[in-house]
Amino acid sequence: MTPDIWVMITGILAASALGLIGSFLVLRQNGMLGDAISHAVLPGLVLAFLITSSRNVVPMVIGAGLFGLLTAYLTELLSQTRRVYSDAAMGIVFTLLFAVGVIMVALFAEQVDLDQECVLYGEIAYTPWNTFVVGGTNLGPRAVWILGSVLLANLGFILLFYKQLKISSFDPQMAVAVGISEKKWHYLLMTMVSLTVVSAFESVGAILVVAMLIIPGATAYLLTSRLHTMLLLSVGIGIICAVGGFMGASYFDASIAGFMAVVGGIVFALVFAGTLIAKRIHQTRYTSERQHIAETISG
Amino acid sequence: MRQPGRWHIRAILAALFIGGMIAGCGQSDDASSSEDGKLEVVATTGMIADAVKNIAGETVSIHGLMGPGVDPHLYKATKGDIDRLNSADIIFYNGLNLEAKMAEIFRQMGSSKTTVPIGDVIPDSLRRHPAQFEGHPDPHIWFDVSLWETAVQQVAMTLIDRDSARMDLYCQNASAYLDSLDALHQWVKEQIAQIPENQRVLVTAHDAFGYFGRAYGVEVEGLQGISTVTEAGLYDVTHMIDLLVERKIKAVFVESSVPRKSIEAVVEGCRSRGHEIVIGGELFSDAMGQAGTPEGTYLGMVRHNVNAIVKALK
Repeated sequence: MTPDIWVMITGILAASALGLIGSFLVLRQNGMLGDAISHAVLPGLVLAFLITSSRNVVPMVIGAGLFGLLTAYLTELLSQTRRVYSDAAMGIVFTLLFAVGVIMVALFAEQVDLDQECVLYGEIAYTPWNTFVVGGTNLGPRAVWILGSVLLANLGFILLFYKQLKISSFDPQMAVAVGISEKKWHYLLMTMVSLTVVSAFESVGAILVVAMLIIPGATAYLLTSRLHTMLLLSVGIGIICAVGGFMGASYFDASIAGFMAVVGGIVFALVFAGTLIAKRIHQTRYTSERQHIAETISG
Repeated sequence: MRQPGRWHIRAILAALFIGGMIAGCGQSDDASSSEDGKLEVVATTGMIADAVKNIAGETVSIHGLMGPGVDPHLYKATKGDIDRLNSADIIFYNGLNLEAKMAEIFRQMGSSKTTVPIGDVIPDSLRRHPAQFEGHPDPHIWFDVSLWETAVQQVAMTLIDRDSARMDLYCQNASAYLDSLDALHQWVKEQIAQIPENQRVLVTAHDAFGYFGRAYGVEVEGLQGISTVTEAGLYDVTHMIDLLVERKIKAVFVESSVPRKSIEAVVEGCRSRGHEIVIGGELFSDAMGQAGTPEGTYLGMVRHNVNAIVKALK
């Protein structure tokens, strides 16, 4: 297969996995979690480096994964005290962790290039050459394997626990009433989000992850109020972003990840405008009908 | 304003292009050389691309990935870069972790094409290792001209290896280029000697000049470390101001690929303590100047830096 096809497949897998799990973040008003994790992993990277004194991908991903989980858990713990809103809690947790990371770099590792950009974030453009070789056989790009497994894990998680996730996302009180622990499902969901986000960072880089975690879900939310339709739409929109972005990047000779995110923004803007116009048409029709009725009655 | 009609043309072109791309996917993949039989060479930094140009001239087609003013840590590949990497016969890169995660890709590509980390030939004893961490050497090898010669030789060897028919030409060009690098090395030494010894202190934003300092006897003080993620701390700034005031250093420098904010804070700080200090000009650190200007070549870039340093500190 040609490199171009691999890049598109990687983009589609990333966008689908992130779009699915991100839809729940959109529903729970937790949209900035991806961005928060992208900053908060820094101390994890420094710790992993100090322990292993290597900048290899495996320790880096483990360090990042642990701090991704920590970000989600601490945010939830803090907001469950009900003394700060969850967006403020997230703001506090990730800036604190990032700042700790910056200080750790300054104290322990100033002479080494150690930041997300350098040691963690992958680049979707390079995926065709970063292959998985077992016993001398080339099994294709590593990112396709990783993101494929992540997508399957997310699909399995959502299909198995669809009811619990749905009720706890839409109506926490109802969840408690029917014996579903809202807290437990929140933590499980956040665990899936952290793992998805960190492995996607490693495979395709930050811009794409932060964009695809939110844009497909948010766009789908404009179009439907049914959860399963929203999930399907988010995957479809993710695929449009991946393929459209790749073609745009080819035509303009630009960054592939950047263009995929830009296409996401354009799709969102179009759908947003479209729903506004549809609403306006609906309203005008409604008012003109009322006018007509009023005129008929009075006159 | 853009004419509306041009968008249609663009859209048609895009459609044709995409169509062609999909149709042509199978063929473009394994075209390893361009039609005119030239070797296709890709180099990451401008300095390496310049060396290839000097040794191979018009006999190869050379493309440098990181343009003028690009911080190698922040470089993002475009779709076109990927195509060029894919069709390249030889890829030269600096190595020593300058290209960070990209180097991993080059290692993997090495199974199907020639990929050469030219910095790797520099023996470990000549690399600068940060005190705390062995095995993570400073990658900015090009500012010690004699060290860079070693790396350039590696470029020449690789070209000869891949294209032995042109061995004579490559040898001739390489030895001429190495001669001019030798001359440059001597010239830098002479120039630096003009600065009074206690004034040989080079203050810049980030530690790109470690090899330069070691080779030419200049004390190098960087405001922030090697990494460009940490910003200069308050302590760094005050410490730097103390040093400048105490030693009566006349100038500090900014770099083309690193923001100048923190170095300006130092200038202000010195001024408030009654020590007048100037910004001695912009030094090229991780990237060269615009193509077509003297600073757009390795020789010109080094000369520019040395002239700026000598002029400001003498």
